[in-house]
Amino acid sequence: MNDTIVQIMWWVLAAGALAGAVTVVFSRDVLRMALGLGGFLVALAGFYMYYALPFLATVQVFVYVGGVLVLILFGIMLVHRSEGDARPGLSSRHDPGSAAVAVGILALVTSMLWPLRDVMTERPASAGTKAIADLLLGDLLPHFEAAGALLLIALVAVIVIAGGDDR
Amino acid sequence: MSGLLGGIVFGLVGGVAIALSTMVGVYGERKIAAKIQRRFGPQETGPYGLLQLPADTLKMILKEDITPRQADARIFKIAPYFVFVPIAMGLVVIPVAAGWAALDSSIGILFFLAVPSLSVLGILIAGWSSGNTYATIGGMRGAAQMISYELPRTLSVLAVVILAGSLRPVDVVQAWRWWWIPLNFIGIVVYYISSIAELNRGPFDIPESESELVAGYFADYAGIRWGIFMMSEYGGMLAASLFGAAIFLGTLTWLPGPFGIITFLLGTGVIGSSMIWVKWTFPRMRPDQLMTTAWKVLTPLALVQLVIVGVVVPWL
Amino acid sequence: MNIVVVATALFSVGLYGVLTRRDLIAVLASVEVMLGGASVLLVGLARTIDMPATQLPGGVESVGVLIVVLAAAEAAVALAVVIAAARALSTSRVDEMTEVGG
Repeated sequence: MNDTIVQIMWWVLAAGALAGAVTVVFSRDVLRMALGLGGFLVALAGFYMYYALPFLATVQVFVYVGGVLVLILFGIMLVHRSEGDARPGLSSRHDPGSAAVAVGILALVTSMLWPLRDVMTERPASAGTKAIADLLLGDLLPHFEAAGALLLIALVAVIVIAGGDDR
Repeated sequence: MSGLLGGIVFGLVGGVAIALSTMVGVYGERKIAAKIQRRFGPQETGPYGLLQLPADTLKMILKEDITPRQADARIFKIAPYFVFVPIAMGLVVIPVAAGWAALDSSIGILFFLAVPSLSVLGILIAGWSSGNTYATIGGMRGAAQMISYELPRTLSVLAVVILAGSLRPVDVVQAWRWWWIPLNFIGIVVYYISSIAELNRGPFDIPESESELVAGYFADYAGIRWGIFMMSEYGGMLAASLFGAAIFLGTLTWLPGPFGIITFLLGTGVIGSSMIWVKWTFPRMRPDQLMTTAWKVLTPLALVQLVIVGVVVPWL
Repeated sequence: MNIVVVATALFSVGLYGVLTRRDLIAVLASVEVMLGGASVLLVGLARTIDMPATQLPGGVESVGVLIVVLAAAEAAVALAVVIAAARALSTSRVDEMTEVGG
């Protein structure tokens, strides 16, 4: 019974993520779009938990939902403030060409990875936080330092771009 | 099977705990505030005014459920739950006896820091969907304040994690030593101030200031919906006090065995009461003072604490 | 195989959003959807395929954390640009932002 519930959870997560993504792309209301993005990101964290990566799931929630989503909401509130009513509508220019591109990419990647379906096993065991630390401060140290430098550069860039002309 | 049933039982217990802590917290707040202001608090309903909070709760439940006309009704109604649920989830990983927690996660401390930060979303959404400018401004200020103070809070907890060598709260409690208190003193102060600011309480309550923004982001919420915001504030106070008492002060190990929970609850009560005391003693900070404190005072102090711990750790 | 289809579907939905949405912030949100889809695809593949490269303990989580950091930095800079552009051009719609310079 445990395994069936886990399998159902996977499909619930997949449905949630797809629902969130569709809301982001098709919703006319800006706040519904932001909430759809939030649901999508939480569903992704659920996927990481399913694959037994609790650290990554928590970091996803912390940084993406608690950070990036809040940033996007702030952006919405700051940009749409100049418009008349409180909840302006979002619009899209639906065209079949874009839909063809999107479906085409789906078909392409799926067909490329199709031969791998025999090699895929189900849910191997997880490693601990100590292994992550050993890796990030050991073999992946240049990557770690580069990520830190990237964050610093992004911070300075944001201050310069959004800071105005009085500097 | 015990997983699902145990989860439901703990959910109910946790919900009741938060509701009780809100009642005790609001009663304590009104009595302590009265003491500080040299007057009596509630004293008519029941002996010493003890029935005041149940009476207030009943009144709130019976109030008319108003939704403003220009509000986005569906989102307006679910926004309080966006604030309440993450804070309630944060209570799950706190160790309540030496060696036992409701959710004994190997990354429990990161969970406690990450999940309650989702309530920022609820505040933003509540302010925005109320449909009036003051609520929106209150929501943005509240959100900016909360995400700013997450940084010193996380850094100060990181110092204890380095000392314990694990992100698991049960491990940290078992590795606690008495000399961690003087060693982590700066970290404890930073955590305390950051927690008060995180909850939009005390001298940091600009987003909900009665005299300026008429209760800010939850101005348009009536009756029990306002009650849910209050429950998240006092539930957050409970969570922050429990976490501080367990991880920073190590009160779970002051008495051996299962008696540790007595000192644990006493320590939680002391920290919670001091938060109430601080609120009614200090004047409210201006928004720019608030931001300056977070970025220019508390974050460098937390980093200094990290340096101190980092220097001492090789000698342990 | 399910994870490949689902993750690529998420990526495609995000791609459609980038191509069709008129509002700048909606485009940014769609880019985040694309990033999320690609990240889940990477992690799912790494966790279900038995190769020597994926056997490294803690490797998947480390790379995943680095991806999240990258996405956060990109979102922050993109939002700063969006806000500055929307302020300067007094609009937030992509098809009204046709001038460069000045």
